[in-house]
Amino acid sequence: MARTVLTWWIPLLILQSFLLAIAFGSNEVEEEFSESLLLKPLPDRKVLAHFHFENRAPPSNSHGRHHHLFPKAISQLVQKFRVKEMELSFTQGRWNHEHWGGFDSLSSMNAKPVGVELWAVFDVPHSQVDTSWKNLTHALSGLFCASINFLESSTSYAAPTWGFGRSADKLRYGSLPREAVCTENLTPWLKLLPCRDKDGISALMNRPSVYRGFYHSQRLHLSMVDSGEEGLGSGMLLEQSLTVVLQPDTVYDGKDLQPSWSLSSLFGRKVVGKCVLAKSSNVYLQMEGLAHQALWKNEEFELSTQPDRILRENSSFLYIFNIDKSSDSEPFDLGLTWKLPSKWSCQQAPLHASRFLMGSGNERGAIAILLKATESQDKLSGRDLTNGGRCTIRANVFQIFPWYVKVYYHTLQIFVDQQQNTSGEVLKKINVSPSTDKMSSGMMEMMLELPCEVKSAAISIEYDKGFLHIDEYPPDANQGFDIPSALISFPDHHASLDFKEELSTLPLLSKFKDKSLVRSYTEVLLVPLTTPDFSMPYNVITITCTVFALYFGSLLNALRRRIGEEERFLKSKAGKKTGGLKQLLSRFTAKIRGRPAESPSSESTAAAQSSVLSSKLLFKIILVAGVAATWQYFSTDK
Amino acid sequence: MEETSDHPNPTTSTPGTTPELDPKTMRSSKPGLKRLLITTTVLFSFLSGLPFLWKSVEIYRSQLPFHDIDSLSDQIKSTPLRFPCTFHAVFIGFGSNDPDQLRSEIQDGVNQLTGGSSQCGSCNVSISVTVQSPDELCSETFPSTCSYRCGVIKRDSFGGGLDDEVDESLDDVFGGCSGGIGKMYSVVVVNKEKGNGGGDEVKAVVGKRRHAWIVGSGLEERYGEVVGRVSEVFVNVFMNGGREEGDSIRGEFMPVGSDGRLVLSFSLLNSNPRDWIYDWDFQRIDEGLLAPVTKALAPIADISVESQVLYHTPKSSFSSWDEKLQSYIFRTSDLPFFVNSNEWHLDTSAGASGRSKILQFVVYIPSGKECPLHLQLPNGEISKTNGFISPMWGSVIVWNPRNCDKDSESPSRNMISPQDLEQIVEVFLGQFRQLFGFKSEAIYTSELGSYKILPSERGFTEWELDVLSRKHTCFNLHSCATTLGSLSRLVQSLPRMIIKDEIGEQVKYSLKAAKLAQSNASLGGYSSSASSSREARSLAENAFFHPSIMSVSYFSYEHCFAVYSPFFLPVAGHVVLAALREWKRYKQEKAKYLTWLTRKKTA
Repeated sequence: MARTVLTWWIPLLILQSFLLAIAFGSNEVEEEFSESLLLKPLPDRKVLAHFHFENRAPPSNSHGRHHHLFPKAISQLVQKFRVKEMELSFTQGRWNHEHWGGFDSLSSMNAKPVGVELWAVFDVPHSQVDTSWKNLTHALSGLFCASINFLESSTSYAAPTWGFGRSADKLRYGSLPREAVCTENLTPWLKLLPCRDKDGISALMNRPSVYRGFYHSQRLHLSMVDSGEEGLGSGMLLEQSLTVVLQPDTVYDGKDLQPSWSLSSLFGRKVVGKCVLAKSSNVYLQMEGLAHQALWKNEEFELSTQPDRILRENSSFLYIFNIDKSSDSEPFDLGLTWKLPSKWSCQQAPLHASRFLMGSGNERGAIAILLKATESQDKLSGRDLTNGGRCTIRANVFQIFPWYVKVYYHTLQIFVDQQQNTSGEVLKKINVSPSTDKMSSGMMEMMLELPCEVKSAAISIEYDKGFLHIDEYPPDANQGFDIPSALISFPDHHASLDFKEELSTLPLLSKFKDKSLVRSYTEVLLVPLTTPDFSMPYNVITITCTVFALYFGSLLNALRRRIGEEERFLKSKAGKKTGGLKQLLSRFTAKIRGRPAESPSSESTAAAQSSVLSSKLLFKIILVAGVAATWQYFSTDK
Repeated sequence: MEETSDHPNPTTSTPGTTPELDPKTMRSSKPGLKRLLITTTVLFSFLSGLPFLWKSVEIYRSQLPFHDIDSLSDQIKSTPLRFPCTFHAVFIGFGSNDPDQLRSEIQDGVNQLTGGSSQCGSCNVSISVTVQSPDELCSETFPSTCSYRCGVIKRDSFGGGLDDEVDESLDDVFGGCSGGIGKMYSVVVVNKEKGNGGGDEVKAVVGKRRHAWIVGSGLEERYGEVVGRVSEVFVNVFMNGGREEGDSIRGEFMPVGSDGRLVLSFSLLNSNPRDWIYDWDFQRIDEGLLAPVTKALAPIADISVESQVLYHTPKSSFSSWDEKLQSYIFRTSDLPFFVNSNEWHLDTSAGASGRSKILQFVVYIPSGKECPLHLQLPNGEISKTNGFISPMWGSVIVWNPRNCDKDSESPSRNMISPQDLEQIVEVFLGQFRQLFGFKSEAIYTSELGSYKILPSERGFTEWELDVLSRKHTCFNLHSCATTLGSLSRLVQSLPRMIIKDEIGEQVKYSLKAAKLAQSNASLGGYSSSASSSREARSLAENAFFHPSIMSVSYFSYEHCFAVYSPFFLPVAGHVVLAALREWKRYKQEKAKYLTWLTRKKTA
């Protein structure tokens, strides 16, 4: 129903006075958007692609109301729930710390636990933090088509103090390991970009190729930038990144070459121009472990496009491509062709963390976290040598336990190089908040200080499995319950790319230049709990009721039994033996009528008896049928 | 357990006199009561337990005032809400007319126009007339509702300046009139002296406040026509807001959310940013131009304004090149397909919580491939506004860049110039008025002539706001009554549904607010009745959509039966049958004993 407008209505004399007010050239800083893509061949013949989009809104008072590039939905969220900082990630697959790196900014920021992880810092009084968190989870759940609203219940989130690596007292953290991540989460995420996936680098995100990968993690990080001015709201910085690890399609040629690839072979698409709204739009290629000089065509490999700039870092080269020039007729399709077999390894975190379950049965078990020294450990720099000359590695462990995993904290054991360590040498600090049944989840934060020459360290803690109420089981209860990933962070180790150049115009690189805390997430654990038979309540009701009814009925029968009469009846029957059939019949009728029938004295009485019996029987049947019919009538009429 | 009722043989206590005892029909002893007592006690305890069971399975239901709800909806249906309005007509330069006669004629005209029907939200009219003769002597109808000081309006000098100035001066003249109850509307008829030039032309203007004036010469001779026009101004303009009778918007088309909030979401759509990018400075528009409008509409709706700029948003209908018009054309038949809901992620606003209404206002900038894009009306002309509305959704305006040449290399971000923005906002306001059911033209035409309507810079003139308030109050009360009626029907049809106290309270307060709105309306408090009716509606909706009502699993009869029947059905069978049998047996045995007694007596 659309009606055309014939507006002759040209009133608005007052407009004229405002015309002057609506002046241009206001020297406000505008909202800015930039896009970039980092490509990196990985040692295990895979390729990492990291899309990074940055959206900046300058300090203003009209946030949440008037926007030009910055997504209005996010801004309104921030205004409504007073979010100071927030990170949301959707991940599928596990980050391979050994092969894909564990000691660089990329992995420390983008290696995320499976499923959904959300943390947020609020700018509200302490008493309202939980309410804000709950409302935020609901809003995000609607915005991203995900069940983030399950984080609303107080049993699923925690308030870390220092173990999370970010000390803020209004911080809430929660994760949903079982959330399946797919396109329905990516599409709303893309909607926040001004060009969506219509133009620019994001046009590469061909859904089948993105989701065919070994790992993909989409992340949204929002932070407020204080303006420092009185009466002016704060600015906002929204970073969106998508990290995918892909396997290029190659034919094995027997020469052990790394696979050659191009953007079109990885994604099935090419870049046909930048997003016109982006302030900067770059593609980076990071090559690690190259001994050769930074030529884009050398004897080891060859690039299909000439880079605009080459940057040298400690152990890697960074080729920078500007995609401004690309167009429909001349698309940008970066390709890498290997000519010689090449081998390199990624920098690794000081310790490699894994976590597993111990014990069997449905009653109790134990959780163990194993920290293993990695090969690259002695190359690392960030060691703490101040501690009396001893070389130590500090590691923070942050772990959330759901309430149905009832952890006994006194059973915490720490093994260093397979020797149990009871002294406080290793465990420097521990903060435990026990869980309350059906009220809140438990949380454990530990700070370990391990000697540098440590080969392995293990933490184990025992638990009992709790019983859930029948309503609390999820739909597929027999699958088991997930314990969210533990977070291991190394407070003394910071990863950064060390460039000499000034890089403020390249948002992704300037971000990598900043130091970031090295952290790694462990696996998700699957704990099987005893699952009840879900039809049990009705079975119990039925069986107990039947037993009670039987007891009641027989008691009542016993109470009104007349033994003498029955004996007489039996005697009289024994006196006159009649035909076997007739006797059987009389017994049967006696049983049906529920009282001792007088023994049939003659044929006539027996006949009368049977006719009476049949009419009564008929009456009973009709009565039962009538009751059933009325019940049916009344129950269906509603 | 010793058997007492049946002795194995006739007793030997009275051997001589005893008559013959037939054990089948007679017995000599009294039948015992022991078993009967036991079974009946069990039965009675069973029965007396039933109320406790009933109490234990009872669910909590807050008492809803069903009767009040019914009476409210009956009342609203049977007697449409009417507001008191006072119409004051001032005739200047009329020598020979009697005010009382004029009043009765205007009253007749008004009655004729309203047709005797009492629409909801219409006026309870009271009319007063003042006649000022050429020599500035006044006569008034009694009771005079307004203190019009005789001679303030000069016959000759009236209407000299701009219409706006006249309007202002009239406001000063009638400034002292608070007009008792309700709003006071006035029409000034000035009979100019002949021969001042201008001929016979009659000029009729409706002002921004609540005044209208008709100026002409020789009006006294044609006073019948003048009276007709005065009553037309009263009824068609002041009372009905210049809307056609059949055209009047129905209640469902009131674009206000059920919680009384309205979000105006403005979006600028760059259909292809590769061709050109336009941006706007909407914040200033909001502060400068839209703020007065939202403020004026505050009693009717709580309005907030948002804006965003979106890119890569092609329309979903096709347009064709028209050689004659030198532009691309889309027709009215294409309009249903114009809005591309796949690509236009206009988004619902997080600010619009719950049941607020969002009106989308979209400025569409065509891509270079379809650059001058125009809307062709069914008569072949090109639409002047190049836009359309979709009731309850919002509106779309197509804005073409000045020249359709593509920016050479990389498109830069242009700003829409203030002049263009001004035009866009004008069209917006026109569309906004249309969404509220008003005309966007500044002229109202009827059979008797046309009236110029002075537009207000606030978008809505005062008398239009009055009309809106009246309609809105009426619609809100109607909707409140319907919602509460549905709720009460629902609650009564589901006897096992849990009803929380909150719902009961909300219903109570909603009824209270509705009552208040009704009494305010009868007292002429327009904005107070509008706001309390809004509250009534929002509370009623809150009660109806309370989450606890939405829950599917309530404790149904079926469930109750399934849980209790495995025990109670078999046990009840035992108990009742046992009691019945014992009673029957007792009667039988007693009859036997009685026959024995009679036999004994006769013997």
